Amino acid sequence: MECRAVINSLSDYLDSQNFWISDDEVKQIDTHLTNCPACQNLKDELGEIKTAARELPLHTPPRAMWTKIANVIEAEISAENAPPHQPKNASGWWGWLRSRKFTFSLPQLAAGGAVAAALIIAGISGILSPHSGALDFQKAQSALLLPEEREIKVELDRRMDALNARKATWDPQRRAEFEQRMNKIDESLNQCRHILKDNPQDADHQKEMRYLYVEKRQILEDVERLKW
Amino acid sequence: MVKESLAPGDLLPSKITEKFLSALAISFVVATALAYSASAQTFSRAFPVPPGTSELEVVNQTGTIKVTSGANTSRILISARYSENAAKIDATQNAQGKVKVEVIGQGAVDFEITVPSSSDIDLLSYKGAIVVTNLAGAVRARITDGNIQISGLRSPRVEAHCTQGNVSFSGEVLPSGSYTLKSFSGRVDAYLPTNADFKLSAASFGPGGMNLGAFQMRYDKQTHQLVEASHGAGRASIILWTQEGSINLHRKP
Repeated sequence: MECRAVINSLSDYLDSQNFWISDDEVKQIDTHLTNCPACQNLKDELGEIKTAARELPLHTPPRAMWTKIANVIEAEISAENAPPHQPKNASGWWGWLRSRKFTFSLPQLAAGGAVAAALIIAGISGILSPHSGALDFQKAQSALLLPEEREIKVELDRRMDALNARKATWDPQRRAEFEQRMNKIDESLNQCRHILKDNPQDADHQKEMRYLYVEKRQILEDVERLKW
Repeated sequence: MVKESLAPGDLLPSKITEKFLSALAISFVVATALAYSASAQTFSRAFPVPPGTSELEVVNQTGTIKVTSGANTSRILISARYSENAAKIDATQNAQGKVKVEVIGQGAVDFEITVPSSSDIDLLSYKGAIVVTNLAGAVRARITDGNIQISGLRSPRVEAHCTQGNVSFSGEVLPSGSYTLKSFSGRVDAYLPTNADFKLSAASFGPGGMNLGAFQMRYDKQTHQLVEASHGAGRASIILWTQEGSINLHRKP
């Protein structure tokens, strides 16, 4: 097996569950790595990046982020549907940049990815810095304060996504009532979060949070059963 | 200047206006009632059910659901009243005999349902009220905006839960029973027999707090928001919760 083929498959090879390469390929790469110090070094470096990435904290993006992404998508769709036109200044540096074709090797891509990840994390950390009261509040919201909270949130998000897809078809009054109720529960949850942030072992507020999550899930289940 | 005097039977101008307005109001009420009865629709269905194992599920959008036990032990009788342009009522029975009544769309529908007393029932309404009386099967009642009133029960399992409204339960507490009463922003009232044997877990996070003095209990935990306590041998499980309302434990008269 040649170095180029090994380099192309290294990322899949390092995946703990090798869905994308066969057992034969894995054996061939193993053999190659024992005889090629350069590829072995590259494999070690990629492994370190992967381990470091796995240890990075998870950040729940703010709800407004989806709105921004949706706006960008809509803008792109509108642009695609609009009649084609020549950019006013396509000959500038941006035009030059767009006309270029770039190719990167796997190590360059990995390094670039690591830098991008670091910048994103630094950006998020900066946004959620303790100097900003409102954003500190967001940070408190995203922290997990119950052992089972991640699973609860995943389930609630799944249900909410399903509802959001059809909420536009609801009666406006019902939609407003639904939003109001969910906001009320979220307010109570946020109050609990603030208290638990200072005292994570406060059993009363842990219990309160659990009840509130059950209430939230109950409202979502009701809406599903009511077939809105 | 001489004032004109009124004879005893004569009406003052203000009294004439009052009488006229009263007559107008009565006419309006009568006309509205007649219009409603003219446009109201009724729905009725009867389903044969296996004795002792009947099951009923009702999903209503707006309106009252009243369920009580009937003399007939092998039939579920459903009657409903709704306005002309209200939603569609769909009542079906599956191969196992379970009856499901579902309202699709909007519009108020008021149900009156009689079931064999041992029936298991599952009721859901978005807005309105739920009233359950004299049953011995499992009861699950859920309403987002409205009250739940449960009385005369001998059920092994009760779950009553409203988001905005009050929950009231009055019934026997069976030794291995499980009773959960919850309201996000309303009162939770439980009327229990003096000799009820239960383990209580109560949580009230609102300003209304808890009034549990009707029973002399052994307290395992007691804060101003949470209580865990037992009465008797502590066999049945009772869970009471409110976020913004109050919890009230009463002795059943």
